[in-house]
Amino acid sequence: MVDLSLDEDQRDALQELLNISMGQAANSLAQLIETKIDISIPKITSVTPTQLYSLLFETNNSFYTRQSFLGDVHGEVMSVLSRSGLNEVAALMEYDEPLSKEDIQEIILELCNILAGACLAGLSEQLELTTNLNMPTLFSPDKGNFDELQWQHSLVMEVQFIVAISSFSMRVVFCLDDASLSRIKATLDDLLA
Amino acid sequence: MAIPVLVADDSKLSRRSVIRALPPELEYDITEATNGQEAIDALSGNTYSLLLLDLTMPEKDGVDVLKYLDERGDMPNVIVISADFQPEKQRIVLSLGAKRFIRKPLDKEELAMTLFELGYL
Repeated sequence: MVDLSLDEDQRDALQELLNISMGQAANSLAQLIETKIDISIPKITSVTPTQLYSLLFETNNSFYTRQSFLGDVHGEVMSVLSRSGLNEVAALMEYDEPLSKEDIQEIILELCNILAGACLAGLSEQLELTTNLNMPTLFSPDKGNFDELQWQHSLVMEVQFIVAISSFSMRVVFCLDDASLSRIKATLDDLLA
Repeated sequence: MAIPVLVADDSKLSRRSVIRALPPELEYDITEATNGQEAIDALSGNTYSLLLLDLTMPEKDGVDVLKYLDERGDMPNVIVISADFQPEKQRIVLSLGAKRFIRKPLDKEELAMTLFELGYL
């Protein structure tokens, strides 16, 4: 069996590439809503589906989205968006109060496209890989479904965006399948050579 | 004479790419710091002509390092090299005395041009 764990240098490199991608994503949103976005230092961990479930869904009062990506690497992006502060972000995005259900859905999907989409695009570009991200969909997490996830030993790349002057935050988690992880490891090694 | 340079970035890959991007016409005496606190420790005991500073770092971040230098009043030439290039971030670091702001991924030419503008080349 191929060893899919990352060594220290590979982890460091992936973290840095992710950091650069997050910067680009945060800048896109900051320009749109004219507000500063704080970005976390990316966390990279290996988790089982049960651990992934806890990692993502221990928080209450959130919206959840998932979107798959295909291309040179395959995987899924899951985002957790806080309900709190969403109204303030909506106002910055020039939505009028009161927000309808459709408005809320549109805002969530837009934020996912901007942040998760830009993160994946930035990472792919730096690794010179082609990826196509599907549209995000809202979903309700169900623990049962997670045990059947294909990301049995997924590499989780977790980033967090916090919008200043509101309590809104969003976490983005990337899950990769084994073949994609292998491919990314090889690409990182080329970069480090 | 070699230019004393402090490179502060938590990523080894990034420190390496910054060091590799330094124009080969000059000689450098390079010290590396892997977080903001290490950078402050290095700055408190040594004199550097140039600080190449990342912003998003653990312990203390790049803005903390700039605040330390700003309060101390004695500042090397600081070039911030960061992935977080939102306008507000750029405004903050320049107001704290950084000379230039360069976006990651680092462009070799841009670093050389910046060093030229600061009188090194």
